[in-house]
Amino acid sequence: MGRSSSDLVWFIAKRLLLLVPLIVGVTAIAFILIHVAYPNPCIIWEGGHAKPDAIANCERVFGLDKPIAVQYFLYLQQFLTGNWGVSPQGSIPVLPAILTALPATIELVAASLVLIVLIGIPLGVVAAQASGRWADHLVRIVYLGGWAMPTYLGAILAAIFVAPFLGLPTGGEFSSPPPFPQPTHLSVVDALLAGNLPFAWDALVHLFLPALTLAVLNFGIITRMTRSSMLEVLPLDYIKSARMKGLGEAFVLYRHALRNALISTTTVLGITTAGLLSGTVVVEEIFTWPGIGNYAYAAITGSNIPGTVAVASVFAIGAVVANLVADIVYGILDPKVEWR
Amino acid sequence: MTEPVLTVDDLSVDYVAAAGTFHALQGVSFAVLPGQVVGIVGETGCGKSTLAHAIPALLPRPPARIVSGTITYQGIDVTKLPAWKLPSIRGTGIGMIFQEPLNSLNPSFRIYPQLAEAIRIRRIRSRGAAAGRADPGPFDYSRAAPSPGAAESLARPLVPPALVDGARRPAGTGDRPLRAEVLEALRLVRINDPETILNLYPHELSGGMRQRIMIAQALAERPALLIADEPTSALDVTIQAQVLTLMKELIDEIRTSILFISHDLGVIAEIADVVGVMYAGRLVEFGPVADVFERPRHPYTRALLTAAPDHAKTDGPLTAIPGAVPSLARLPSGCAFHPRCALARERCAVGAAPPLQPAGATPSPEAVAHASACWYADEVS
Repeated sequence: MGRSSSDLVWFIAKRLLLLVPLIVGVTAIAFILIHVAYPNPCIIWEGGHAKPDAIANCERVFGLDKPIAVQYFLYLQQFLTGNWGVSPQGSIPVLPAILTALPATIELVAASLVLIVLIGIPLGVVAAQASGRWADHLVRIVYLGGWAMPTYLGAILAAIFVAPFLGLPTGGEFSSPPPFPQPTHLSVVDALLAGNLPFAWDALVHLFLPALTLAVLNFGIITRMTRSSMLEVLPLDYIKSARMKGLGEAFVLYRHALRNALISTTTVLGITTAGLLSGTVVVEEIFTWPGIGNYAYAAITGSNIPGTVAVASVFAIGAVVANLVADIVYGILDPKVEWR
Repeated sequence: MTEPVLTVDDLSVDYVAAAGTFHALQGVSFAVLPGQVVGIVGETGCGKSTLAHAIPALLPRPPARIVSGTITYQGIDVTKLPAWKLPSIRGTGIGMIFQEPLNSLNPSFRIYPQLAEAIRIRRIRSRGAAAGRADPGPFDYSRAAPSPGAAESLARPLVPPALVDGARRPAGTGDRPLRAEVLEALRLVRINDPETILNLYPHELSGGMRQRIMIAQALAERPALLIADEPTSALDVTIQAQVLTLMKELIDEIRTSILFISHDLGVIAEIADVVGVMYAGRLVEFGPVADVFERPRHPYTRALLTAAPDHAKTDGPLTAIPGAVPSLARLPSGCAFHPRCALARERCAVGAAPPLQPAGATPSPEAVAHASACWYADEVS
């Protein structure tokens, strides 16, 4: 029927192949946007009083005198071979810097995704079950409150009011520099790999508040989606037939109804993940989280153009990958999707 | 006198909507005796489905509202039961088969887990871990003498020998007894290759197959009372006949009490022992099926029987009941059928609707009396 595990491998492989044109497309858009924002970065790099021949020299060195299509082709060539440029301040290569920062962001996004699922989905089920009654309205107020809040406001409120109230740290990944190597740059994983439990706990405590902030600001759409798809599923005959088996309400809701409602929630979860990646810029800046958002902020404010293009491309790739994963999970959850 | 499995007494149900209050059921009373098949027949919108859903408390409230009456199942009034206790009377107590087999199986699960779940519930209950029917009573089909057909299908090897050591590991391996019971439940509904069915999703099966699985799932819990809400109406005619034949055979084999809802007089005549005829939310006639169909005591029943298409008749117009079914929001005064009735007189149009009354003395205490809700019941036949 097209749903054996070998079919699944093909299903995933084909979706992965689709990634190639998508990545070419998103890097092109990122490249063009940056070109529009900084038509000639040499003017900035060489300084306001630079001589014309210094600027011309700079343009020749960086290939900026060539047509934009050629520039993009050269950029893509270097991008694929791992040369993502260097930042003008201190000549720090972009790729290693991003490779150090990206895991921290992935850790933050993953933690807040876990919280979003744990908060958003049960609240959606509760709201659907109590549809039209006070619990439904209460849930709506809570998620709309989070959803409507600007990221910077949520993050500042969390850092100023929630952190002292709960006794949580407001910055960094650790309280003191870790005495162990960080091969993965995932703070909790590194501490666990080193077998250092106090540091692992410390890392978790540091991770909690920024992750919670991101989760509270973004779980609304998941709750809303879960609620509406639960309301679509609950009047169906198979829910009646699950009740008529003699199953308790919890089994009916969380096994029979939610399993079907989750199919449409998954797609939205993919979009939310893409939003979380870029939403981390403000949260990371406020919580001094050494992630890619923090790097992006520094790159933009420091005219680090190679860094900015790279970050834009990484965010775009992240969004594409998140949707790809959602697509694959959707295919696994919905038995009517054939894996071929 | 044997204790009824189910007693419905003076049940009235309203639907409260913006357009008005719909009196879906009014003063419905009847009983289902052990092993009896009670058919409920009536036109679309007469309250049959509301009745079927009200008994296991499946009606969404609101909009539905139980105005009066009791539904007594094994000494428990279902209408008074709190929501958290309802699961204990469902499944092993009251089972149900729905009209739409396409939607009544969960689309996200394969067949095996859905059936296994039903069997697991029955096992937990029979261990006494939960309320419900702890003791499998005399309606348990495992104790009833199986018909030759069942004996043959049960004697077949449960797992085809070729599959026992096969490379494929089908669902539920390692849980032999449960798996064996699932296969047994599927064989009971005459599915000849249950092994291949187990790993399929509902959307990969035909409507008739899904309805068989639905029946297997309901019967796997060995319910004391099975409610079949138009189980064949949504199927193709040929499949309808197959499922009906299956249900008739099963009724002989399992001897459970059944409440069979249908709009098809022919189906009821074939399946039921006792029939209730509903019109505009009321039970207008109730009695042994042969009695009711041969000597109807309500003009509506008589009109229905005349209107039923006769397959032998090949030409000429079909008979129809004059007038239209009244809206449940604005019912006529007196007997709801009087505007369409040939026998109607002044008395029919005024006051309360005529009560459902038995005709004369009951022949024996065991027999079901032939009752009718018509002032002039004696003039009908």
